[in-house]
Amino acid sequence: MNLDDLSRDLETLAEETASALAGASDVAAVEALELDVLGKKGRLTGVLRGIGALPADDRPKVGAIANRVRATIEAAVAERRTILGSAELDARLRAETIDVTMPGRPIRRGSLHPSIESMAEIARIFAQFGFVTYETPEIETDEYNFQDLNIPQDHPARDLWDTLYVDIPGRLLRTHTSPGQIHVMRTVKPPIRAILPGRCFRYEAIDASHGTEFFQVEGLMIDEGTTLGDLRGLLDEFAHAMFGAGKKTRFRPGYYPFTEPSVAFDVECLVCGGPGCPACGRSGWMTILGAGMVHPVVLRNCGLDPERYQGFAFGMGPERIAMLRHRINDIRLFLENDLRFLGQFR
Amino acid sequence: MRVPLSWLRELVAFDLTPEQLAERLTLLGMEVKGIDRRGTEWANVVVGELLAVEKHPRADRLSLTRVNTGAGEVLEIVCGATNIAVGQRVPVALPGAVLPGNRRIERTEKMGAVSNGMLCSGDELGLTADADGILILAPETPLGAKLADLYGDVVLDVDVKPNRGDALSIVGIAREVAAVAGGAVRLPPTDVVEGGRPAVERLSVAVEDAGLCPRFVGRWIEGVTVGPSPDWVQMRLLAAGIRPISNVVDASNYVMVELGKPIHTFDAGAVARDPRGRAGLQVRLARAGERMETLDHVERALDPETLLIADASGPLGIAGVMGGATSEVSDATRDVIVESAIFDPVSIRRTAFRYALRSEASLRFEKGQEFRLARLGADRATRLVAEWAGGTVAVGAVDTHAQEPAPRRIAFRPARVDRLLGTDLGIDAQREVLRRVGIETEVSSSVTDVAIAAGENPASVAASAGTAVIATVPTWRRDIEVEADLAEEVARVHGYELVPPRRPPTEMPAWRESPLAARDAIREALVGAGLTEAVTYALVSPRMLEAFRWTFEDRPAVGEAAAQGRPVAVTNPLSLDHSLLRQSIVGSLVEVVDTNARHAIVDVAIFEIGRGYGGEPDRSHEWWRLGLALTGAVEIPAWNQPRREVDLDDAKGAIELIARLLGASAPSYSPLTDEPILHPGRSATVEARLPNGDLAIAGVVGELHPRLAEAWELRARRVIVAELSVAGLTGGSLAVVRAAPLPRFQPNERDLTVDVPDSVPAAEVTQHVREAAGAHLQEATLVGTYRGHPLGPDERSLTFRLRFGAADRVLSDAEVDTAIGTISGALADDIGARIRS
Repeated sequence: MNLDDLSRDLETLAEETASALAGASDVAAVEALELDVLGKKGRLTGVLRGIGALPADDRPKVGAIANRVRATIEAAVAERRTILGSAELDARLRAETIDVTMPGRPIRRGSLHPSIESMAEIARIFAQFGFVTYETPEIETDEYNFQDLNIPQDHPARDLWDTLYVDIPGRLLRTHTSPGQIHVMRTVKPPIRAILPGRCFRYEAIDASHGTEFFQVEGLMIDEGTTLGDLRGLLDEFAHAMFGAGKKTRFRPGYYPFTEPSVAFDVECLVCGGPGCPACGRSGWMTILGAGMVHPVVLRNCGLDPERYQGFAFGMGPERIAMLRHRINDIRLFLENDLRFLGQFR
Repeated sequence: MRVPLSWLRELVAFDLTPEQLAERLTLLGMEVKGIDRRGTEWANVVVGELLAVEKHPRADRLSLTRVNTGAGEVLEIVCGATNIAVGQRVPVALPGAVLPGNRRIERTEKMGAVSNGMLCSGDELGLTADADGILILAPETPLGAKLADLYGDVVLDVDVKPNRGDALSIVGIAREVAAVAGGAVRLPPTDVVEGGRPAVERLSVAVEDAGLCPRFVGRWIEGVTVGPSPDWVQMRLLAAGIRPISNVVDASNYVMVELGKPIHTFDAGAVARDPRGRAGLQVRLARAGERMETLDHVERALDPETLLIADASGPLGIAGVMGGATSEVSDATRDVIVESAIFDPVSIRRTAFRYALRSEASLRFEKGQEFRLARLGADRATRLVAEWAGGTVAVGAVDTHAQEPAPRRIAFRPARVDRLLGTDLGIDAQREVLRRVGIETEVSSSVTDVAIAAGENPASVAASAGTAVIATVPTWRRDIEVEADLAEEVARVHGYELVPPRRPPTEMPAWRESPLAARDAIREALVGAGLTEAVTYALVSPRMLEAFRWTFEDRPAVGEAAAQGRPVAVTNPLSLDHSLLRQSIVGSLVEVVDTNARHAIVDVAIFEIGRGYGGEPDRSHEWWRLGLALTGAVEIPAWNQPRREVDLDDAKGAIELIARLLGASAPSYSPLTDEPILHPGRSATVEARLPNGDLAIAGVVGELHPRLAEAWELRARRVIVAELSVAGLTGGSLAVVRAAPLPRFQPNERDLTVDVPDSVPAAEVTQHVREAAGAHLQEATLVGTYRGHPLGPDERSLTFRLRFGAADRVLSDAEVDTAIGTISGALADDIGARIRS
């Protein structure tokens, strides 16, 4: 064995390997060939075993050739493996193809009730203005529901609240959340900013715009210098938060025995935007709440000095707010719990 | 309050369209709820003249008429009325007209004669109350004119607030119009031509309690002819929503609408005479056992709190509420007594409620009447009776309290008003504003008492000289009593729209946890888990309340109220279906399930967070509960998701979700076999505890008892329900999560399968596993169950995945083997379980 023989054997190995690679039909054959040629006990090692018989001078030359041949073979193996590998992947991908236009697997989600969510939304908006939330009883006394609110027995203003009475002497189902004002003012000292959401009851036949049971959200703000102008400013902010920035509002006189001056607060008709339509009774306005400066008699009933403290209260119907926002035309839907209705709210 | 603009214009001038007027009044606090245009129903109704009236050849009761409608055309019209004659001007409905009540007028044939339209009665047009004959118009009525142009009117529907009884009148509204339009109010004339014997010789009035009747004015008219009112009066009353009756009665109603003063008229001949031969009226409370027949021909037993107008022989009428049948003015009436009185508002209100007889009159009385109106109203009504029904008015009046009170003087501080309103009007502007509604003012030059509270418990504060203004309030404004009322008046007349809006610059209150925080978190979690939030009535039917009254022992979660007290009933329910306050939520949810089933929605998963209510003799209880109801498919069935029916485990899963949310331990369940609402084999009590041992969740979960489902005829086959007390529903927030460090050493997991009889609940097995396992057991999870060969028929195997670990090292297999051995031994010894190797 001399240098030339050895070199020729190496070249032959390279050529044979190249043609064998070309014939390999899959990655497994390439890998078998790789092991056969380049493995620990492979043919390249076998050829190089003859190196020991060469003169010491020739050995580095053979080493150089052997390295080149190894590199060539390795490159060829890698190349072939890549080619065959991607073909196999392609075949697999083709086999795995599905109809991606089919609909997904539905995930069930329920929905929040629009009355409760409307109340929560109102509370969230006023929370931004520093109003904290309270809840008070639904079975109330006549004192809290009426008398402490400057509505004496047999007062004609009682016509505003048709009342359901219960079989506990002196108790009734609260007709509004306003008794909450009394509870709060008797519990905490000014400055007060309170929101009182909750269920109310009226002796009223159920129709598209009235229910015997409904919700209300009461607001109360008492301090030393809280003015009617503050009420107007705050309600403007609320209207913009709830119905959209830039909505026009209207501030006009209303009547409640427990506020003086009393206020009715309108927002521009959300359906027609002002010119007038059936939804707004052709007025261009929709009334969204009642309000007013807390009557000095009410402040005094709660132990607050009306010469020192002043402030306002307001009350609104979350169903009405939701009806305006979501264009719901019948308040009865709120308590019917028809999932075709509830399911529209997400 | 219906306000015909034609009537209003008689009392005040204004140059505004109806829409403009409506807006001005609304901004002044007199909200206009609607604008009713009368006459839109009279399209194609014109004034015609009767040229000929002849008998119908084939029908005795019909006439053939020829009518000139001014359009150069003569129409032949068949008419059934008997009051027509040649030369009269009458309303003619031409073919194509649509009269009130959607009555279409077409060309028709009546008994062989063609009729080209219809001659109309006042009633058919809704113009007067006369239905017996054709409406005969004045001879000067222009021929061919459209009826709508002649008698059309615009009527404002004004929502008068309870404090403004004075505005329940045309005069009252006119005063408001004057305040915005600047004109002066022309009061209707009240002077009367008198003659004959004085009224005091004809009539006496004895008032028993001047507190209940502070003033009674009576007048006497002799020799009236009772009949229909003039047509224009009837038209006006109808436009205002009042049905015409007769000239005398119409006069009293006319004054009620015009001045806001209810008037009653008596047939003087029906009133018993006093010893001096005068008609003797008494104003007194009813006596025990007294009865009377009211104008509506109902015989009524009178309550002793009822204020009556009576004579020596008995009651004549319920004061301020309704007259009596015996003294009613009729066609036979010759002499008339006009009553114009002031009554105690509370007494009238109570009486009207007691007899369910609230009327236009009682409504005005109960809001309180201007004292002056007693005399003004008497004079005005007397004048109108004499004008419309003839007769001679007796000289003077009987008046139990002739002197008029001075107008009220109320002090206010303009600076305080500005401070309340957030305005900068100052003293002069405020005085000027008040002048527009007839409130005259003067600056007080001495220390003045300013009233800040009126009523039973009045209060006032002293204002130093020069800082207060004294307002002289017109006598009709009974609503203005204290300083705040004048502040509102200033704001109202000045214009609420001119109050500058400001974002409150004042101090913020201390932070407070929202009572909604935990509730909202639970709501969100359940919605995410596929449940829909329901809100049902708190008032339920007796049947519902009884059927869904829980018998299990209620235990409230920490911070929550207990369910206690008897069911609370509404004493004046609208219907039996809503007559009792509920004590549980589940019943209402089951009803919701059924409602939806009726709409073919069978997959229902709902929850409600609501209150239960209970009563005791002197107090009430309210408690919050979470209710669940599940039926039908769990997930939305789809091509890639087979339908799976809900079962108990789904409800438990929801409860376990809430437990995790609250930071509580996994809930534990105990069999509940004796709750009548629930399936005895598929129900459990549930509880979950917080790390400190407090109850986080307590209640029941189970399948609705098939008997109950049957009794309620439920369409749903299986309904899983739960009713739970949950910590945080009443208030408070969710506990803050404390993060545990991640384990540094791999745990060692083993599966352990045990065969146990069915009589041993899984919870018991789990508990034994936990107790026997030692300190290194981190978690024991039930991962599988099996029944069948080789197990006995009443046996099942349970496979637990046990995770062992230590914080400071990897446990050796030997250590875990020892623990498994201990567990196996304990299970075998304590509950007779067989351990599978």
